[in-house]
Amino acid sequence: MTAPNEARLLVLGWNFRTAAESVRERVAFTTEEVQEGLRGLVGQGLVSESVIVSTCHRSEIYGVARDDGVGEAVTRYVSEWRGLDASELAGAGFHRVGEDAARHLFRVAAGLDSMALGESEVLGQVRQALLVAREAGATRTVLHRLFEWALAAGKRVRSETEIGMHPLSIPAIGFELAAKVFGDLSERTILVLGAGETGSLFARHAGEAGVSDLRIANRTAERAAALVERTGGRAVSWETVASQLSEADVVVGTTSSPVPVVRREDVEAAMRHRRGKPIFFLDLAVPRDIEASVAEVYNVFLHGVNDLEEVADENRRRRAREVPRAETILEHELQKFHAWLGNLSVVPTVTDLRRRIEELRDAELARAPAAERERLKEFADALAARMLHEPLRRLKSESDPVKKLDRAEAVRHLFDLDRE
Amino acid sequence: MDWHFLGWLAVLLYLGAEALSIVSLLTPRGRGFASALLVAGLLLQFVDLQLRARALGSVPYRTLAGSMSLFGWLLGVAYLALLFRHRERAIGPFLIPFIVLFSAIGLLIPFHASTPRPGTQGVVFALHVTLAILGYAAFTLSFVLSLLYLIQSRQIRRAKTGVLFSRLPALEVIGRMNRTAVTIGLSSLSVSVLLGAAWARKVWSGVVDAKLLFAVFTLLVYGFLLWMDRRGWKGQRVALLSIGGFGLVIFSYTFVNLFLSRAHTFR
Repeated sequence: MTAPNEARLLVLGWNFRTAAESVRERVAFTTEEVQEGLRGLVGQGLVSESVIVSTCHRSEIYGVARDDGVGEAVTRYVSEWRGLDASELAGAGFHRVGEDAARHLFRVAAGLDSMALGESEVLGQVRQALLVAREAGATRTVLHRLFEWALAAGKRVRSETEIGMHPLSIPAIGFELAAKVFGDLSERTILVLGAGETGSLFARHAGEAGVSDLRIANRTAERAAALVERTGGRAVSWETVASQLSEADVVVGTTSSPVPVVRREDVEAAMRHRRGKPIFFLDLAVPRDIEASVAEVYNVFLHGVNDLEEVADENRRRRAREVPRAETILEHELQKFHAWLGNLSVVPTVTDLRRRIEELRDAELARAPAAERERLKEFADALAARMLHEPLRRLKSESDPVKKLDRAEAVRHLFDLDRE
Repeated sequence: MDWHFLGWLAVLLYLGAEALSIVSLLTPRGRGFASALLVAGLLLQFVDLQLRARALGSVPYRTLAGSMSLFGWLLGVAYLALLFRHRERAIGPFLIPFIVLFSAIGLLIPFHASTPRPGTQGVVFALHVTLAILGYAAFTLSFVLSLLYLIQSRQIRRAKTGVLFSRLPALEVIGRMNRTAVTIGLSSLSVSVLLGAAWARKVWSGVVDAKLLFAVFTLLVYGFLLWMDRRGWKGQRVALLSIGGFGLVIFSYTFVNLFLSRAHTFR
């Protein structure tokens, strides 16, 4: 599709699909390292511009190069920089050029390439990568436009499909169910039993959801206090759990207690104080923290970890069903991006420039007296031809594809050729 | 333009509102112009009711056709009020069919301009009938809300998080809306019964008839419902009671109205 002497987009990457953890951690870059890498790649002239996206699941180097062979040179550069065997690095990664490279970034930004399909964190990470590269002076026209386009496409996919809508994490699903009982959870009381790993996951999620009354009860009070330090809320004493039930709307069981912490008679007693207000229990503990027969009490909801896992599976399927629609949107955006990129080469630029000058000429001629138009037109054409001759010759004869691209872009900008 | 045309046009607009609200229920973050169509339909139907009133030389709902039409209209108004207060659009697709149904029945039943019987004119009579029908419309609303409550509650219990789950409001919200609907129904029917009793004493010899008895019984059921709602029945039991109460409303409106009551029917 692209002529051999034209600049090429390329991406070199290592992600959770292609590379083992051991390789990935060697090519995971901090912001300072990203800046260092960008300076090296552009400084050594391997690529004319570059952006590096580095997150816990992927490291990807985007660039605009003179030809397709640059991929190997970039791999060599990274292997020397990170002290890795070049062939091992090449074997653990992937390499795409041209339209495929652009498509890859669009898919990444839309969350189609993420471990959790459709997650939206990656959008921020892509934006951050662009900002870092721009600050390092490593981006120019093409990558800047490519990344902006990919971000817009990613947003479009999330607003026009359901790919980011159905929660996948267990706390998010649990709170989604609870919110369908109570409405807004921020005004509710949430009691987390246990300050271990699962407990803190829920506590953190509750904090992020803006829950104003978060209580944490743990058999050893110190651990509850320590968790509260990190997540907000307040620690309540283990002995008061039964009496907390008359105030708590959502109760999350996560302890390792061998016997149930919440018994049916506790719940029945609490319900008498609650005047019909429901309680929503999430039991993530094995063995159970909440007696199963609690579910039979009027206005009590109880879900175990299996229920939530099933919803997570179902939601993964729902997101997966949206992939074809997301891909249609991306292909549409990709086509538009490529139309723009295609215009950036010399031939369309020359055509557009000629048309622009003819437009200007015709506008001027329309104001001239009719009798003189023919003569003036000849003059205008001759002048335009003389004026354009040298700039166009230089533009066409440039042998360096990257410079050629820059100059075409300059002409397009100076003559305002990209206006709608 | 005759009133049939306007009435059917209104029904057509309601059907459009129904279609739009189904679409917005099913599409992610969908928003339609369903309420705009509903408002337009209500305006047309209002004009239709006015024209009927002129033809009768009395309030239009003295006849069964007119009362059905008014039932549909007031249901629409009550729904709009609820929409305005609670901003929950997801109820629309389930409620608008009832508006269509009652309005269409009102158009299909033959409409005769019979001579008004004694006592079927005047402000008190008009208020009595309007408030009674408003009460029944509010109970219909409560019926639909209660069904939705049971559906949503079942989905939460079974952890079924499909389209309906995500679009229907939270149980707490449906419960609150139901409380609003029952409160409106209870107060308008109570005032209507009081006005009716006072009016009947003036124009008829006796007050007691089957329709009145059923109205009082209906009031007792819904009053009990509101009272128990405060006492901890909030939720499924209240929903079931409301569905039962609606059965009573339908019975009063059809069987009692047509067969048990004599002087007190729509004619």
